[in-house]
Amino acid sequence: MKRAAGLIAAALALMAAPAMPAAAQDSPPDFSGFWGPVFEPVEPAADMLAKLPDGTVLVEDTGVVEFPRGEFGGLDPTPEALAKAQEWQPEDDMTLDRVCLPPSIVYALQGPFPFEIHQTDELIVIRYEYFDQVRLVFMDDRTAPADYPHSKMGFSTGQWDGDELVIETTHIMPSTITNNGLDHSADLRMVERYRIDGESGRLVATQWFTDPSTITKDGVRWIEWEKREGQHVYPYECDPTFALEYAAQ
Amino acid sequence: MRILGVFAALAAVTIPASAHHSFAVYFDPEDTVVLEGTVTAFRFTNPHGTLVLDVDGQEWRAETNAPVVLRRRGWTRGSVRPGQHVTISGWRARDGRRYMRLREVRDEAGRMIGSAPFGKDDG
Repeated sequence: MKRAAGLIAAALALMAAPAMPAAAQDSPPDFSGFWGPVFEPVEPAADMLAKLPDGTVLVEDTGVVEFPRGEFGGLDPTPEALAKAQEWQPEDDMTLDRVCLPPSIVYALQGPFPFEIHQTDELIVIRYEYFDQVRLVFMDDRTAPADYPHSKMGFSTGQWDGDELVIETTHIMPSTITNNGLDHSADLRMVERYRIDGESGRLVATQWFTDPSTITKDGVRWIEWEKREGQHVYPYECDPTFALEYAAQ
Repeated sequence: MRILGVFAALAAVTIPASAHHSFAVYFDPEDTVVLEGTVTAFRFTNPHGTLVLDVDGQEWRAETNAPVVLRRRGWTRGSVRPGQHVTISGWRARDGRRYMRLREVRDEAGRMIGSAPFGKDDG
């Protein structure tokens, strides 16, 4: 099921881009634990959307929702990105050498898989079940070293803005945005803003991204996770020979 | 071939979670298939498990959600075994091959394998 994506009203925001907060508070909330995705329909928090740049597109493919070929949730691919998406064939990814390539955090974040957060003042570690990926979020104001390599998780720095955790990520290796042929470039920049919802206790987030060489409009997803005590991330250990099963039929 | 039913309504609301490849791209949510046959193979590895079924001499393959999802629904690699007679349902591949995404498996007595069908509240 998929709802139509829409432009976030211009009145919601005046900023040119999500800004990193200037200072952290003394006692940030504790996000530690096992978080599983919420699949029921949810409404984004208006005050968090209001912190996004004007014209950002709300991409509604979170959780189990997926776009078919040719639909990109309101994102506007550049001619080059659109041509590449149109040439893409689903079978291209179902080969021994590709079927276990993980998507970047841009797509993986919204997927229907849980993760664990391990939180300290200097470093937050997010361990994703999806493809066994691990992400480091540096909380010590460092910047990416020169010639830092790109990876599917990228280079992430975080700051607290009151009770919200704001993470900025760069150095993300090109990969899919919507899992149907639309890829982002190595220059994509992503800003996530997380907080724990006071009523539901869920971890909620905006995942904003900009990549002018592939999409002419910035995108954002709204994502919610619920805490599940006593659960743990399972090993994923992707087996590429699955591709042989697909090819066999 | 014993295709017990092909109907459209089942998948109208929920679509199963994908692991690597997109359900929406590969499978038709309007083309639900129910099959009865004998299991010839079952693999339980990510990104998808695979159940191979002999349906009156024709081979069908049903890919499962990621086994990390299956485990939370009570599945193990021994939940289905070769030689077992089962009834399965799911969504057929858009390209028309005998390939499908699994919704549920029921044993010969009609008992569902695992705690819930797929396509609802995965995690």
